[in-house]
Amino acid sequence: MSDETPILDEAIIAELRESVGGDDGFVAELAAAYLAEGPDHVRAMEAALARGDVAGAVRPAHTLKSSSAALGAMRVSVISKAIEHAAREGRTEGLETAVAEARTAWEQTVAAMNERKLAG
Amino acid sequence: MSVALVVDDSSVNRMLLARHLASIGIDSKEAVDGRSAIDALKLFADEVAVVLLDVMMPEMDGYETLAAIKSDEALRHLPVIMISSLDELDSVARCLEMGAADYLPKPFNPVILAARVRASLADKRLHDVEVAHAEAQREMLETIDRQKTELARFLSPQVAALVSSPEGEQLLAGHRREATSVFLDLRGFTAFSDSAEPEEVLGVLREYHAAMGELIVEHGGTLEHFAGDGMMVFFNDPVPQADHVERAVRMAIAMREKFGALTTRWSKLGYELGLGIGIAAGYATLGRIGFEGRYDYGMVGTAVILASRLSSAAEANQILLNPRAHAAVEDLVLAERVGELQLKGFSRPIPTVNVLAPRAADAAEGMSADPPVLTGAGTTDG
Repeated sequence: MSDETPILDEAIIAELRESVGGDDGFVAELAAAYLAEGPDHVRAMEAALARGDVAGAVRPAHTLKSSSAALGAMRVSVISKAIEHAAREGRTEGLETAVAEARTAWEQTVAAMNERKLAG
Repeated sequence: MSVALVVDDSSVNRMLLARHLASIGIDSKEAVDGRSAIDALKLFADEVAVVLLDVMMPEMDGYETLAAIKSDEALRHLPVIMISSLDELDSVARCLEMGAADYLPKPFNPVILAARVRASLADKRLHDVEVAHAEAQREMLETIDRQKTELARFLSPQVAALVSSPEGEQLLAGHRREATSVFLDLRGFTAFSDSAEPEEVLGVLREYHAAMGELIVEHGGTLEHFAGDGMMVFFNDPVPQADHVERAVRMAIAMREKFGALTTRWSKLGYELGLGIGIAAGYATLGRIGFEGRYDYGMVGTAVILASRLSSAAEANQILLNPRAHAAVEDLVLAERVGELQLKGFSRPIPTVNVLAPRAADAAEGMSADPPVLTGAGTTDG
């Protein structure tokens, strides 16, 4: 499912830029903050699963979902949302795969943002 | 400028919210979780006007934080807007039930954010205005109470109460009614004050004023003024008293007794003083008398002049009544005729009586005077 979702949704980035009055500097700061804290959330999800604490994956997945959505990193957002819901309901099946997908999508996002110089 | 506290564990969300808030003129403080939010609120309680609170956070989550805010007397008035994804509407409903003011969907739409934050700030301002208003009102009431208390030190309690009452202005403006005027002054005071030391004179006056003052209050009289050894009291105004003559006469009898106790002591010191009282009932004009800067609440009329002349005519220990006053208390006190007095300012002589004592039945009801020693014949003027 996530493969169909774009890594970066240009329309959302454009919307974000417009909502802050075309301030590219601010968008760059926001992207930098996102890139700085994102790895913590991905790691936190991995660590939770590694110690068998499914519920522990809810919060990092939730946070990653919303901050990714804000910056148009839709693939990470969609995968994180699926992880959040599954973890909250205690559905472990496919959870490990999903977290691995999130890791991949995250790395793709970092690459895409760097390529696009979104963070300046 | 209003300040919002943005509570979210995602720096991206905090930055975005702060940015949107800045664009509508609102400064932000940020907290990364519930615990630091509560700390920040305690630190900046006076500045923060609205809280934007994420539901899902480490340490203290949004529910716990909201509960902590709403259970804190100093914080509960703060509007809290929950930040929530569209897939979390259940948790939003729970927060609204817990006292959250509103919610803000993620991803943030600047227009919705501006509208909800402004609405919450308006509510907060209204609340603050109400609180300030209540506080101002409380202070005003305290001031009025204080003024009343102060006023009561200078004026008779009835007049002080009148000044602060809604009908005050109307009564102060002047009105006519039946009233009883009582004058007291001392026999032998001029000679005493000429020969005694000033300290002795003032000491005697203080004792006399204190003793009489107590009885005036006890009987509900309005003290118009006192000047040296003279005091003027009236009844039935500003507080209406159906038994105003009776009150005046009972007060006079009580004063005579109390004065007797004082003179026993004073005579040992060589002070020979006696109390003369004049009482007259009649129609009079009552209200504000004086001039800008110095007004008194006073009584003007023939009864006042008559009471004054009667007190001057009274010998020591006499309580002289005009016929109208006597008629009102005839059944209550024993009195002796003192004749028709020719008084200054009155063309015709005034038939006058001197009050001897309360009648027996009356005394048994608790009047403090001894039972009358005089009986029947010749004690009243009829």
